[in-house]
Amino acid sequence: MNGLFFALLGASIATALAGFGSAKGVGSAAQTAMGVLSEDSSKFGKMLVLTLLPGTQGLYGFIVGFLILVNCGVLGGNLPTAGQGLAYLGASLAIGIGGMVSGFAQGRAAVSGIAMSAKDDKNFSKAMVSITLVEIYALLSFIVSLLVVISVPNINV
Amino acid sequence: MKSVRIIALRQDRKRLLEHLQNSALVQIKKNENSEKGFSKIDMNSQMQVFERNVTLTQQALNVLDELAPQKKGMLSSLAGRKIIDPDEIGVIAADAGKIIDECNRITELNKIRADNAAEQIRIRTALAQLEPWQNLDIPLNTEGTKTTAVFIGTLPKGYTDVTLSEELAKQNTELIFNFEIQFSSKDMTCVVLFAPLAQKQQAEEALRNIGFAKPMTQTSHTPKVKAERLREKSVLLTKQSKAAEDEIISYADMREKICNTQDYFRIRADKYNVISELDQTKHVFVINGYIPEEDCDKLTQMCDRIASCYIEFGDVNEEEAPVKLKNNKFAEPAQSIVNMYSPPSHADIDPTPILAFFFYFFFGMMFSDAGYGLLMVVVIGIVLKIFKPDKNMRNNLKLFQYCGVSTIIWGLIFGSIFGDAPVSIYNAFTGASLTMKEILPWPTLDPQKDALMLMVISIAFGLVHILIGMGCKFYICWKQKDYAAALFDTGLWMLMLIGFAVLAVGMITAPIVMYIGAGIAVACAIGLILTQGRGKKGIVGKAIGGVASLYDITSYISDLLSYSRLLALGLTTGVMAQVFNMLATMLGTNIIGIIFMIVIFVVGHAVTIGLNALGSYVHTMRLQYVEMFSKFYDGGGQPFEPFTLNSKYFKTKNSNDD
Repeated sequence: MNGLFFALLGASIATALAGFGSAKGVGSAAQTAMGVLSEDSSKFGKMLVLTLLPGTQGLYGFIVGFLILVNCGVLGGNLPTAGQGLAYLGASLAIGIGGMVSGFAQGRAAVSGIAMSAKDDKNFSKAMVSITLVEIYALLSFIVSLLVVISVPNINV
Repeated sequence: MKSVRIIALRQDRKRLLEHLQNSALVQIKKNENSEKGFSKIDMNSQMQVFERNVTLTQQALNVLDELAPQKKGMLSSLAGRKIIDPDEIGVIAADAGKIIDECNRITELNKIRADNAAEQIRIRTALAQLEPWQNLDIPLNTEGTKTTAVFIGTLPKGYTDVTLSEELAKQNTELIFNFEIQFSSKDMTCVVLFAPLAQKQQAEEALRNIGFAKPMTQTSHTPKVKAERLREKSVLLTKQSKAAEDEIISYADMREKICNTQDYFRIRADKYNVISELDQTKHVFVINGYIPEEDCDKLTQMCDRIASCYIEFGDVNEEEAPVKLKNNKFAEPAQSIVNMYSPPSHADIDPTPILAFFFYFFFGMMFSDAGYGLLMVVVIGIVLKIFKPDKNMRNNLKLFQYCGVSTIIWGLIFGSIFGDAPVSIYNAFTGASLTMKEILPWPTLDPQKDALMLMVISIAFGLVHILIGMGCKFYICWKQKDYAAALFDTGLWMLMLIGFAVLAVGMITAPIVMYIGAGIAVACAIGLILTQGRGKKGIVGKAIGGVASLYDITSYISDLLSYSRLLALGLTTGVMAQVFNMLATMLGTNIIGIIFMIVIFVVGHAVTIGLNALGSYVHTMRLQYVEMFSKFYDGGGQPFEPFTLNSKYFKTKNSNDD
């Protein structure tokens, strides 16, 4: 039996969970931003930047998912063994869960950041930096997932 | 920065201020109290008039934008202010009164439109209410005749002739009545009821009990006539609105003049604001301000040319004086990034040159695609050429142009040109299976294959970045003669980080290098334990302070790990581009496939550029603000804001903007 099912499960988990986190984060940020824009539409650029900040988790998840697909024979590469499939599944949990939870948290931070920079444009850079502080944890999850995914084809399990 | 004091005759006030405003050399210092013998002039009422005019012209422009929108390109908001000759302001001033009258007329016409629109809604409601009464041939407000009482109104229920007479009989058995149902639906009945005048009270009560209500629209005409009149009125109002609209549209050509007039009043309001701040006597007035050192000569020459005045330059109190950043062409665009954080205070060094280099460098590494970089450089180049934006916008665009150059270089290093577009398209048409690595004649570093390698490189760049930040701190402390802080607080940590770096290099090369690195790190750690508690009292306090300071290593580690985003974002760009290339070439090479390919290629890469340029910008900024600035930069200075033409639409040739 090969590990294709587990590998695909992993790809789905990475993409869907991280995307879930981002979707929720960006969604709540966008709601707040639209409230601000209804008062002052000239802030669109800044609001767009702050709104999109929680969106990176989804991208990270997508990249891990894509790399798994590339490696496991769906978009090239060789079919994984059962062990390799489980390894993909394990690796995808990092960015899946890490991305999801940090997406929620970053969304909340973005909501506050938007409120803050709506009050005074000068707060924009501070808000932006504070929001990106959350992202490091998604980043660490991503790096772990990534390092495992790219090395799995060379592991013999 | 120098302080400047200009004393001049009041007869020259207007001319001198105008020249100062055009040249933007001086920031006017505001002080609450006037010096002895001087007083201030209250200009509030004039300023209010000017500001009201600015608002009025803006309203007129908004109306024009609504009814006669200007055709604008997507990028036209980047366009710079129009350059005019200072003499032309005089022409604008001469026309201003006429333009204001016209703006008044425009807003007045718009008011008519708004009122008519509200009236139209009222008419529509009234017509809807009259609709069920169309067949009634007496006026709706008929009360009765000499002997009969008439009730016209609605009941909140659907009745037929039979059910209604039953219902009324139930209410009052003695009541004599007759009625006509005009209209009946499931939840409304329009009825006209006749009763003898003698029974008016009883009839009214019976009706009230079953929820009778008079119609909202009362009229002394029959409903049909009333509806006809309302329709006529509605047509009239429509015509009137149309006429008003046409007249407003006929003013569309005035738009430019209105814009200029608005700026004229805006400039005058600024000028009067300054006048009200000046110390004046009957014959002279005094301007106190700040001026960058290099502009002193320019100011002297200008003042000598236009007025007889006395100018005095002096040194400034560094803590209060504003700061003007001055950088070469390479670093200047990044000033806005520094200012966004906070302008440097007198104790800081200007971080712009360092920030500029790393901003371009890191942005390129994250965006990392030669195709996208080339697009940025070319598109921004064209925009700069065509629209000639104002200084701020120009600098922002240049910032991204320089970032674009760096993006091209990194794209070539990573072997990414619109992702793997060249090979994926070639492969789609020929069926070959080339990779970017094979077609590029130079060695490339594929972030997908060599991720680990790239992560090490990213963190190494991070180490350099942080060390340079700490180097700045070292320099600042040294300059302030705080040698202990320079050597112990900063120097030892720098050495320690270098020690760790050497250790890491040793791990892959030779054990001897590893021992050297470990030696440096341990020596620095001991040094830190010995020195970091120096502010504390007693041996124990000093020892605890020293050991506790080693805990800071965690913050350095997290700072360094943070640079792994260089890898993460670089990879994101590459993979997204690759995914879209893969999708684009999916349908093969027939006609449909080629059209599909072009559409997906354009849309997909536009999405990739949008998302990743934003990500790269934000994360580059974060690396500068959080990782590097925290090492040495405090900010909190006042930016230099000269008295200038604070206009939206035009600027004069000699304004200091360029």
